[in-house]
Formats: sequence, C-alpha cells, structure tokens
Amino acid sequence: MNPYYFASIALILIGFYAVLVKRNVIKMLVGLSIMETGVNLLLISVGYVSGKSAPILSEGITPDKAVDPIPQALVLTAIVIGVATTALALSVVINLYEKYKTLNVEEIRRLRG
Amino acid sequence: MNQYASLLIALPLFSAFFIPILKRISKNAVMPFLAFVTLIQTGIAALVFKEVYTTGKPIIVLAGGFKPPVGINLYIGHFAALFVLVIAAVSFLMALFSIKAVSIEPKDKYAMLFLLLMLGATGMISTGDIFNLFVFMEITAISAYALTAYNKTGEASEAALKYVVLGGVGSSFFLVGIALIYGSLGTLNMAHIAQLAGLINPTAAKVGLALLIFGLAVEAEQFPLNAWAPDAYQEAPHPVTAMFSAFVVKASLYAIGRILYILSAAEGWSSILRLLIILGTLTVILGEMSALRQTNVKRMFAYSSIAQVGLIAVGLALGTAAGVSASVFHMFNHAIVKALMFLAVGYVAVELGGAEIDKFEGLGKRMPVTAFAITVGAISIIGIPLFNVFWSKIQLILAALSAQYTWVVALILGASLVEATYYIRLIHAIWFKGEGEKVKENTVLVLAMLLLAALIIVVGIYPEPFWDIMQKAGSDIFDVAQYVKNVPLMGVNP
Repeated sequence: MNPYYFASIALILIGFYAVLVKRNVIKMLVGLSIMETGVNLLLISVGYVSGKSAPILSEGITPDKAVDPIPQALVLTAIVIGVATTALALSVVINLYEKYKTLNVEEIRRLRG
Repeated sequence: MNQYASLLIALPLFSAFFIPILKRISKNAVMPFLAFVTLIQTGIAALVFKEVYTTGKPIIVLAGGFKPPVGINLYIGHFAALFVLVIAAVSFLMALFSIKAVSIEPKDKYAMLFLLLMLGATGMISTGDIFNLFVFMEITAISAYALTAYNKTGEASEAALKYVVLGGVGSSFFLVGIALIYGSLGTLNMAHIAQLAGLINPTAAKVGLALLIFGLAVEAEQFPLNAWAPDAYQEAPHPVTAMFSAFVVKASLYAIGRILYILSAAEGWSSILRLLIILGTLTVILGEMSALRQTNVKRMFAYSSIAQVGLIAVGLALGTAAGVSASVFHMFNHAIVKALMFLAVGYVAVELGGAEIDKFEGLGKRMPVTAFAITVGAISIIGIPLFNVFWSKIQLILAALSAQYTWVVALILGASLVEATYYIRLIHAIWFKGEGEKVKENTVLVLAMLLLAALIIVVGIYPEPFWDIMQKAGSDIFDVAQYVKNVPLMGVNP
C-alpha cells in the first residue's frame, strides 16, 4: 500500500477535525485549507508511479517513463479554486469581525430557527 | 456540428468580463446590459431547445475538436436543453427584478457574479466530464458565496461563512470521490465511465459514489449538509434567492442523478440508492417541520424549498425510469413556482421593508397582483388539482407505487398536508387580515409574475405535452446505454 495515501487521508482527517471542533473562525478556515491540501496530495498520489519522471516530454523521457499527467492538471485547477475560496472566506470573516467584534462561532448566531 | 451551443457558456463568461469596461463608460448601463445578456442567452437556449427536441438528438460540443475521452465535451441532451432554457429564462426575469431590488453598490460586481452564477449552473447541466463538472460547481458555489454576502450586513456575512465552510468541505469530498473513480477507471469522461462501470472495483465505486453525492449534497440542499440554505436564502439579495431555489439546486440534483446512473452497472450500486432515498426522506421531514414554525416568510419558503428538493432526490433514488421522469417534472414545476414565489416575496420585502409575516397582513388590498401571485404559487405547491405541482406529485406517487416504496406515498401526502397548514396560514393573513394603503405595483414585475402564474396554470390544465417533454428529459438521465452511444468516444464509434 502506497504511504502517500495514508499521509493524504491523515491530512484530510486533521483538517476535517479542525473544521468540526475549532471554535475560532480563522482556525476553521485553516482546517479547510489543510483538508484541501490533503485532497490534492491524494489526487497526485493516484497518478504517481514509483521511479518515473515528471510528465514533461524532453530528451530521454518517453510517455512510458513519465507519471500520469492528468491528476497533476486536476490539482493545478483545484489549487486555484482553493485559493479563491480561501480569499473569499477571509474577506467575509473581515466583514463579520467588523460587525460582530468576535471570531467565536458560538457568539456569531443571529440567524437561527 | 452545432458549435453555436458553446455560446451558452461563452456568452455569459465574456459578458461578465466586459462589465468592468462598460462600467467605465456608463454606470447606469450595467443593469440593463445584464437584462440584455440574459435575454440573448434565453434566445440561444430556446434555439438549442428547439433543435434538440425536433431532431431528437443531443448537441455535442467538442472542446478544441478533440474527441472524448481525450478532449472535454459538452453534452446538451433532452434534459440539458430543457433546463438551460429554464435557467436562462429565470435569469432574465431575475435580471429585470434586480433593476428594482438591488440598490446597494457595487452593482457592476453584482452583475458579474449574477452572470457567473448563471454560467456555472448552465455548465453543470451541460458538461460531459466529471472534473469539468467540479469546476463548474465551484464557479457556481464561489459566485453564490459572494452573492450571499452581497448585502454586507453582519447576518449576510454569517450566512455566507456557513455556506463557505460547508461548501469547502463538500468540494473536498467531491474531489476525493473523483480521485477514487479516476484511480479505479483511469478516465474522467462520463460516457467513458459509464462504459467501463462494470469493471470498477466495488469498494471504490461505493465509497466514491457516496463521497460524490455528499459533495453535491451541499449545493443540492440534502439533509446533513443543508444548514446553510435557510440562512443564505434569507440574507441573499431577493433575485439571488429565487435563482438559488429555481436552478442552482436543480443543477446539483441533476449532477447527482447523472453520476448515480452512469455508475449503475457497478456492483453494490443499490446500496447507494438506499443512501440517497434516506437522505431525501430526512430532508423532506426536517424541511417541512422547520417551515411550520417560521415567522419570516422568506425563510419559510426556504424550508419549503428544501422539502421539495428532498422529494426530488427521493424520486431520483427510486431507481426506475418513471421515478426519474417524475423527479424531472417536479424539478421543472418547482423551478417555476419558486421563481414566482421568491420574486413576489422579494418584491413585497422591497416595497414594505421586510418579509416578516405581519408585513403580509392586508397584502391583498395593498398589492393585489403580488398577493395573487403568492396565492397561486402556494396553492400550486400544496398540490391542488389544476395547478402544475399536482401532476408532478401524482407522477411521483405512481412511480413510488410501481417501485414498491409504499411509505414514499405516505411521505408525499404527509408533506403536502404540512405544506397546506403553513401556506393556508399565509394566504389567510394575506387576504383576510389587516388593512392598508394601496401601493403602486411595478408594471414589468407585474407582467413577470402574471407570466409565471399563467405558466403554472397552463401546465396544470394541459399537463400531457409537458409530461412528454419530461419523460424524454428523464430518459436522458436514466437511459445510460443511449447516453454512451450518443457521445463520440475515441476508438469506439469513429
């Protein structure tokens, strides 16, 4: 079994734990980012073949000597999406802090029912 | 090839990037431009709809001319053609409503996000590639987060934060699902996945499918992940709420249905159906129970919307062609009804300064056409005969009976009963309580509301032609063999 799988699933679970348990909004977003990193690592390791080179066609590198390039393309897209989500979430948090003067999720509860 | 269908994606995207330039020329031109673009989009969507339903063949757009699975393709079959039209038409009406309802600056950002939301939902429905689906889902989701926070109040930020956190968790789940399926089959094209589905490792199929469904369940408002929905519905600008309910949810439900059925050849698939039917049932029950005790009408409609969406998920999970067609019919009816109701409620909130139930007392005397629109929508969603939702509920019940899920019948009837309780309470408040000055209603919005109300009644009185369309759209999702045959896969049918 590939050790990268364990590492990436551990990262996903650590991030998920932070999202569920932490009471500080910033820490929850950090957890979300850790989760995304874990997912990206998982995608990369799905396409990884031990002992092969980066998928760039150059001298001495033929397609059968390179790892699968598709997951890497996917991860590039996923990273960009993750950055956009994080940036947006942080700007929402700035506005939230101005209005509520707190970052504790238990005190940010005007909407309920 | 009918490459003009790719304009459905290209037009909103280019228009969104054109808006900052337009803003420099004239600030007041932004909102009319938004209405104009959505009108053109409706025109293109109507052409695509006509073409697909007259030829009976899907329109397939190949990106860069590469055949799938190497290239990415758009697949506009019967379902996508129908819903692209619904999306564009609802967006057009909401763009008209935005001119009246959105007064907070920066309006140019609003218009851009509006177009991107429409683009994302259109893309989710018409793509033929599972990762492309993820990208469109994120376009939809990120513009939806931003639009939720658009009013810049503390409550709006709170709702948006809940949405971002749940959406982020959901998109991570979705990507893990993609990784599992790609790891097992080595392809991302939906038709190719369907073709190879019999070979997939059963564990990877089950876990992957469950993760994909959980990922989509955030946008599709299914039970454990829908806590964001009532808050976001309540705090988002009024036209955006209508768009969420009318098509953002529907796009995700379609994605659930499509992904579910392309993997139907996988071993252990029926356990995923059971998972989805349980999620859907819980969504219906919790949605209806929460709707009962709301005092804010917009929030009440949000819970009602969640409950209806649960019924659609139950229909998709019945696993029969009739169930899927009934679900599609319910999606269509619900899109019209909720577009009408959120339009009317939003208009009341703009005119009278809030959506609490006491604002609705005497509405029948103050804003008669708006009150009439809410009444038509409410009666329809309860499922009274001669209104459109009646027919889709009947079809859902018939499909459930023939699939031998008797308790689903009880669920649908019970849900209708609860809906009757809270909607009749609202109708009573509108027509038989309170007094007030008459407010002059906006002509454009009156026409939009009357148009949607007329559509509800037309579908209610002549359901057969619509039911034919829905059955074609439903079999587009259900009949996977035909789907695979339609997509020109490389090396399979040259």
